[in-house]
Amino acid sequence: MIFMKMVQVGFSYPGQKKPLLNDINFSIHKEGITALTGPNGVGKTTLSKLMVGILAPSTGHITLKGQNMSSMALAQIGRLVGYVFQNPEKQLFCPTVSEEIGFGLQNLELPEHEVQRLVKENLAYFELEHLAQNFPLQLSEGEKRRLAIAAVLVLEPELLVLDEPTTGLDAYRKHLLGECLLKLVASKRGVFMISHDSNFIDRYASRILILENGRLKENGC
Amino acid sequence: MGVKLAVKMINLDPRAKIVIVLCLSTLAVFFNTPGLLLIVLIITLLLLQIFQVKYISLIYKFRRLLPVLFVLLFIQSAFTGHGQVLVAFGDVHILTTGGVSSASCVLLRMLILFGSAMIIATSNSRDYVLALVELKIPYEIAFMVLIALRFLPVFVQEAKDTLIAIQLRGVDMQKVAWGKKIKVFTYIFSPLVSNVLLKANQLAISMEARGFRLYPRRTYLRVLKYNSLDYLITILSLSITLVVLTLSIIR
Repeated sequence: MIFMKMVQVGFSYPGQKKPLLNDINFSIHKEGITALTGPNGVGKTTLSKLMVGILAPSTGHITLKGQNMSSMALAQIGRLVGYVFQNPEKQLFCPTVSEEIGFGLQNLELPEHEVQRLVKENLAYFELEHLAQNFPLQLSEGEKRRLAIAAVLVLEPELLVLDEPTTGLDAYRKHLLGECLLKLVASKRGVFMISHDSNFIDRYASRILILENGRLKENGC
Repeated sequence: MGVKLAVKMINLDPRAKIVIVLCLSTLAVFFNTPGLLLIVLIITLLLLQIFQVKYISLIYKFRRLLPVLFVLLFIQSAFTGHGQVLVAFGDVHILTTGGVSSASCVLLRMLILFGSAMIIATSNSRDYVLALVELKIPYEIAFMVLIALRFLPVFVQEAKDTLIAIQLRGVDMQKVAWGKKIKVFTYIFSPLVSNVLLKANQLAISMEARGFRLYPRRTYLRVLKYNSLDYLITILSLSITLVVLTLSIIR
């Protein structure tokens, strides 16, 4: 079943004469890792923001599980699609690292012991245990990115959208992230990532999309 | 002709624009009757027209303030005794001409203040730093004003991004109770303050590294020149304001 579908989607920012995205048509199933690549400033981040409802298309429409996304609240979309911003600082707002991971879980009204267990598990997996009581915005770039990914992944979204997830990660942590994404895929979840990291894409992506001149091309691999 | 005038007005020295705005806001604060405030508003709108500023959107945005103005209208009517009673419930005055007048004054005053601020926006913020320096305000202070103006939209965007991130993690702002909504806003506040401090620190280091305040004097790429039109506008604005204020006080 198609999880997300973009139909003739176009987008222009206010005051922009030429549309940034034009006639974008593609579907995402809840399987494998889809990578989106393309030159700088071509609209990759804009496309990812359209996928999570942060921006609304100027033309065309997007459906999520058959429902038009324009009729859904961000909180509803967030339950199905997890989004990790290009700049992780934008999504860190809690006073401590462990609260940051637990924030979304508390909104799901899970029992406290379950929240604690999942927070501990994710702190351990992303090697953030020693920073559990630190202020998120004072972490290093790599640590912030790991925390942003952990805070979204803990909610177990059906589709995970990552914007440049490998920026600031060392080789070992890139490997850790890749393995984590493969685990997600194995549990019947989909991953959509924007990346310029060709090694990472070649190693983990099962489908590659290229965005050029506002249009999307598919590159089989 | 109209275009030429607009270009001349937009290219006015920022100090002349500051004088215009000061005159308009002084009159807006001084006058206390809807009729006089309406005249000042019409002058403000005419000036905006000359400066080719699209002000219709500003008036449209004020519709959001209407509920507040309505509340003000009834509070003024109920608690201030002045004016003729238009609607009453027993001994309680629901609507009086005094209340209508006060609420209209607030609306007109706000429109004048926001409208005159739009005249300021017709010059580059960097030119205002130069204008402040020419007005003998220390460069450090003028530069701080510029930085505040420059970073304001950045912080607004950061606050919006945090709100989006919160919603994407399951908080439906349309449905949450007021108590939780207030808690959510505290979440926006903490990264914002942290980012302000962080950016201020980084900016200070970057400025020091580029020799800021290394010598007591500095050169400027652009130098402001107060020409005849600037003098004319300044003298005209100040004279009209002073005459109007004096006449109002005498009367």
